[in-house]
Amino acid sequence: MRRLRQATYHVVLWLVAIVFFLPILWIILAAFKTKDDLLAVPVKWEFSPTFENFVALFHRHDFFSSLQNSFVISATAVVVAIAVSFLAAYCFSRFRPASTDFLMFILLSIRMVPAAAAVVPVFLMYTALGWKDTFWGVTLFYAMFSIPFSVWILKGFIDGISPRYDETGLVNGGSRLHVIFRVVLPQVRPGLIAAFIFNLIFVWNEFLFNFIIGGRKTTMIPVSLVTGSLAQGGVDWVFVASLASVYLLPPVVAIYFFQKYLLVGMTFGTVRGEV
Amino acid sequence: MTAPAGEPGVAIPGTERKAPMGRRLRALRMRWVDDSRFFPQMLVLPVMVFFVIWNIVPTLWMLGMSFYNYSLITGSPPRFIAFDNYVDLFSSTSVWLALSKTFVFVLGAVGIETALGLFLGFLFWGSTTMPGRRLALTLLFAPMILTPAATGTFFRLIYEPTFGVANHLVVRLFGKEINFLGDRSWAMFSVLVVDVWMWTPFMILITLAALGSVPKAELEAADVDGLPWIRRIRHVILPHAKFIIMLGILLRTIDSFKVMDLILQLTRGGPGNTTEVVGLMLFRKAFEGFTMGWSAALAVIALLIAIAFTSIYLFILNLSREERGLAR
Repeated sequence: MRRLRQATYHVVLWLVAIVFFLPILWIILAAFKTKDDLLAVPVKWEFSPTFENFVALFHRHDFFSSLQNSFVISATAVVVAIAVSFLAAYCFSRFRPASTDFLMFILLSIRMVPAAAAVVPVFLMYTALGWKDTFWGVTLFYAMFSIPFSVWILKGFIDGISPRYDETGLVNGGSRLHVIFRVVLPQVRPGLIAAFIFNLIFVWNEFLFNFIIGGRKTTMIPVSLVTGSLAQGGVDWVFVASLASVYLLPPVVAIYFFQKYLLVGMTFGTVRGEV
Repeated sequence: MTAPAGEPGVAIPGTERKAPMGRRLRALRMRWVDDSRFFPQMLVLPVMVFFVIWNIVPTLWMLGMSFYNYSLITGSPPRFIAFDNYVDLFSSTSVWLALSKTFVFVLGAVGIETALGLFLGFLFWGSTTMPGRRLALTLLFAPMILTPAATGTFFRLIYEPTFGVANHLVVRLFGKEINFLGDRSWAMFSVLVVDVWMWTPFMILITLAALGSVPKAELEAADVDGLPWIRRIRHVILPHAKFIIMLGILLRTIDSFKVMDLILQLTRGGPGNTTEVVGLMLFRKAFEGFTMGWSAALAVIALLIAIAFTSIYLFILNLSREERGLAR
């Protein structure tokens, strides 16, 4: 009896999870339909899967460039951001300069500003300086985009490491850089992983800034997705569906493997705990 | 922290350890770092550079621009008009209309997400022994880690009036067609549904974290005492869980206030202006109307609201840290 109840409970939980996944499943299924099946009225529940859409997608000239942009820009930006943020977080945690609280507040408020408000001044600046649609213009912007989150999350993790370690390292003749990189850095690995994974997801996902300050040379996948789905004179839904399926794979795989960092990742590093 | 023995190279005789060549070289080369009085400043400098270039400068630029009449269409140089943009902003009915729509959206989205998230969070509480839990949670949490620009696209396909599956089901069930995104009375509802779908998992995650922060011992004590559920929630769970839940709700409030790319992708603010929330209005005025001065003024207002939200968030965060004795 108890086992039966347990089993029903688990089935219910699985059903809830599946219901939340259904809309995503629908777009993945659409990617395996032929154009006629996809546009069929009434909706076709049975169809023979085809890989033609993906073949067509891989043959489009703009697909690999936006895929490559997505990977290269997000990886570069996040690596830069984390390197820079780690040093700052170490400083905020250990030396606590007088402005620490204020700076942490400002960094947090960057996250709270509506993207549409933040994009206006950046757009004005980028057009004036001619940084639009340049690799470093976009990448360094995304580095800044990732810094607030990285500083917050890494400061939380460094706070959790006793300063005794630093003192021991210094007393034993280690240099300050030795203390930072050989003593503290290895201990905040979980924080670094969480910051890395979630910043990657956020930059991978970013649409608005890429749309406004990017261009042909720096288009990333979400922008191609949106421009594809807003095409004049009929949307090419099989293209949109197959591109969306490719787009959503990395984030979903990432949260499967890094599930324990999900909470810290989604709450800006302010709430910690296991799910 | 500045122990004299910490100076590298000034090794005490006899205690000298054989460091690898590479490490000794680095210690030597980095003496200017170790001896510097400005070591902490050096550490923050890179972030400050980024911060000044990509935040301070654009923000000041925006603040300055908000005092000008500047349109990208006319091509005429910006004209200084002092506070006219702000005056226009506060007397414009469309701004107040957009604000009221944002308010409806925030209230509806956060309310439903919180209620549903708390309920499902409680449901998922005892799921630790569930087979395939990791996969199930991945499926459950997938909506919130995808960008609204993409999920908006998914739902455009689902809501599509002719071959979309939503309409197909509605016709099957009620025998009536609904143009979800094109009908004035349904558009806001349809957008809300998508937002609820995306962010209820977040509230589930928050609820799970909040429930996880309740000490096991107290729950067992409540079990032994046979405390009824209502009182268990009130006296055992809530005192521990409330801060995390509050932070979650606040984060959702801020984020739904920011909503923009989801609605841009779903309805572009239409039909008419029925779904034009503040974020979207800002975007359209700036990048479809190209009235940069006016948009900058609206962006300044949005910035101030964001700063207010941040203060509240930090206030609650500090409360929760004090409560847990983590105040540093």
